[in-house]
Amino acid sequence: MSIKTLEIVRKRLEERPEELREARKKGQKVVGWTGYNVPEEIIHALGFIPVRIAVGGDDRLVEVGARYASSKTCVFIREIVGAFAENEDPYIQQTDFLAFDATCLQNYRAAEVIEYFFKKDVVVLAVPRNFAEDDAKTYFVHEANEFTRLLEERAGIALDPARLAESVALYNDIRKTLKSIYTFQAAKDNVISWEEVYDLIQAGELLDKHEYLSLLHQTLAELKERHHNPVIESDDGDSRIFISGSLIPRGDRKLISIINSVGGRIVGDDLWSGILPHLDLDIKEISPAGVALGYLNRTPHAALPYLNLESDRRLKKLHELLSQSKAQGVIYHTLRYCDPFTFKAKETKNVLAKSGIPLLEIHTEYAGSDYEAMKTRVEAFVEMIRIKSESVQEEAA
Amino acid sequence: MGKKLFRYSEENKDKFLESDNITFNDGSVVTPEEIWDYLTVEGPVKYPGTYEINLSQGNRDSRDETLSTSLKTHYLSLTFSARMEKAKESGKTIAFIQGGQAVDPYTAADTIALRPFLVGQWYHGREHGNDIYKSVLRRKQSKESAFHDMSFEACQTGGYEHVQVGDLPIDVIAPYTVLRCSDVSYGVEAHRHGPNKDVKLINVDYPMRHQADKPWAIEYFAQNLRKLVKTLDEVRGKTTTEYDLLRAIKLHNEGRRLGNELADLWWSTDIPPTNSDDRNSLVALANLDMHGDVQASLSVLKEAKNIIAERVKNGVKGHAVTDNPKRLFILGSCVGINESRSEDAGAIVVGKDDQWSHCTSIVEEEGDPYYNLAKATLEYPYEQSIEKRAQWTIEQIKKSRADGVIFIHNWGCNTQAAISRPIVDFIKRETGIPTYIHERDLHGLRDEQEQNRVNAFIEML
Repeated sequence: MSIKTLEIVRKRLEERPEELREARKKGQKVVGWTGYNVPEEIIHALGFIPVRIAVGGDDRLVEVGARYASSKTCVFIREIVGAFAENEDPYIQQTDFLAFDATCLQNYRAAEVIEYFFKKDVVVLAVPRNFAEDDAKTYFVHEANEFTRLLEERAGIALDPARLAESVALYNDIRKTLKSIYTFQAAKDNVISWEEVYDLIQAGELLDKHEYLSLLHQTLAELKERHHNPVIESDDGDSRIFISGSLIPRGDRKLISIINSVGGRIVGDDLWSGILPHLDLDIKEISPAGVALGYLNRTPHAALPYLNLESDRRLKKLHELLSQSKAQGVIYHTLRYCDPFTFKAKETKNVLAKSGIPLLEIHTEYAGSDYEAMKTRVEAFVEMIRIKSESVQEEAA
Repeated sequence: MGKKLFRYSEENKDKFLESDNITFNDGSVVTPEEIWDYLTVEGPVKYPGTYEINLSQGNRDSRDETLSTSLKTHYLSLTFSARMEKAKESGKTIAFIQGGQAVDPYTAADTIALRPFLVGQWYHGREHGNDIYKSVLRRKQSKESAFHDMSFEACQTGGYEHVQVGDLPIDVIAPYTVLRCSDVSYGVEAHRHGPNKDVKLINVDYPMRHQADKPWAIEYFAQNLRKLVKTLDEVRGKTTTEYDLLRAIKLHNEGRRLGNELADLWWSTDIPPTNSDDRNSLVALANLDMHGDVQASLSVLKEAKNIIAERVKNGVKGHAVTDNPKRLFILGSCVGINESRSEDAGAIVVGKDDQWSHCTSIVEEEGDPYYNLAKATLEYPYEQSIEKRAQWTIEQIKKSRADGVIFIHNWGCNTQAAISRPIVDFIKRETGIPTYIHERDLHGLRDEQEQNRVNAFIEML
């Protein structure tokens, strides 16, 4: 499909570690962050360079991580810990300190283990489970202020509201542009694939934010030029797949490549590593509290329990995205020991079944040993969707 | 082939009959004579499995029959299911909670608080006449149904199998969530989609990470406790006052203090005054929630403390304890090692952090009871950072004069498993005491292999 700007993005990613090294030589600090509710704008506004710590797909690192964080911890967290143990990841190498949140308890445990064994300085943002309640929001505001204070200590400056406003504006523009680009991948006769957009989203976790925004604008302009009227509807013979569940970070493309290899077309996701964190983030006030609440009020992460099934915003969002993308089936990806998503797999399947949307749970690790088994299941699912779609078309004809 | 069964010996009966009554929450009393009758006549018929001699289940061919409180805790366990049914019939509110938390607010709201183990005990105690094999099979079947509805990687299923798949009349699922275990919060949420999805749910949100010194975190948790009590009040249709909570705190402080005194007495001597199992069952009374009846637990605990003091004074050695046993301190998930088999291998369990940490947090009695309770709860040593928790554990290890430490984590218990290595690493570095991480397999399917590893550790000590 060759969107030229994507080539530039790939090249810039190759150059980025060296760029970070140079920036640090000039006194800039790099903050490695991970967590669904880490307010990145605050990190950025304090003059730090934020990079997201999110690597996957390497079972050797998972094994290394297990030595420190046990083999019963989720695969992603084990790999993160393993990457810190080896310290060969070019981004991890460049981090001056880390900012984690406790949305997922395993993420929080990773912070503790990394602090303990690898002597990394980690600032942790606590996150309330009862996120939708007013007193939880009050608590979170305090935590966000404390988080900001700890970052200010490390920055040696106080947070300037004007700079925070600039960062919020920048990030808002990034989110808005990403949403526009995302529409193109799901369209009929698409000129950009979901996989390309997914890589583009993840590039933003590493690149300089101003440059990233400019690359996004460039990408969007190219897309508009090549596809004047993106309409989201099925192409003939499409098996439109939506991916949900555990995150799929950089380095892990096993499931995605399997779906592609059996002819499935991914048209949407609600992954923590995908478009979801960029949706519905409404910052009403330029302050640490305002930014933090903007994050907390988004579609919640599955790690935060919500006790009323009928009004669950996560499920509502899933329905909304499925409808927007005209997806015909959901592949629900769960990583080994990823409790936030494994616990919800059957429930989500039952909820979607009521809307006639089939769901296939794929439970996996970063090892390659289950590749063929996964492929068989995904292939059958994609085929089932295709047959169903064809029969609907035949009936309509 | 008939099973080998244990029976209480008549020769200890007269001495037992001289011991104290058990007094219950409703003011009723059960005499030693009634307890003896139950343990020797009714109990063996209803629950033959608990009388079966089976080392893999921790059931020896002999027990400490001279330790009257041991018989009483056995009685309370065997009558648990029937007592819960009776409590429900009389309109009592029953809540599902988390292990390792205090139950002061539930007591204040006149609610029976049952941790996961007790919910299972109630459910399985409804069926009589089962031997060990049938009991184990039944437990596995019900757990399997919860795995099916939730996640096969769940350790803690939040009582789901009994409340949703089964028909246990729990009124409210109301644990402190995220305290020590992440699965329990997912477990609470899972109740929203079960067949009994209208059961009342509340997350008592326990914030994590260096919270004990933050006024806003204490206030947030205090607010959660207020909501908890309000929810319990809604269920039972009555109002709990701050004074009710203060009274409950005082009552539970008494239990906690007694439990600490008992533990200190037990640790004060080189000769263990009871075996591991008896020690465990007595220390566990300190939270007063163990048998679904606060007053019953307190009355047995009071008696137990006096007996242990007497035994320590007279240098009495606990039943089946070997000479100079290797002293083990157990850390980690809410499970333990097979104590009797470990004793046979030459060890004794002298402490466990899981059911102990919250008993060491005495709640301030002056001032806002909600705030005080929240503050004490956020100070639970088990929930602190790696260094703080390990430092507290070292104090317990020193007090108990442990020779070795086993960190055991259960299948699917990510929250404890993740920090097992740093905790034991810290302890080993600071004390030089040997440590060992023990991974409990799903459903205890590898009991023999696991015991083999424990025994090797004991032998090394």
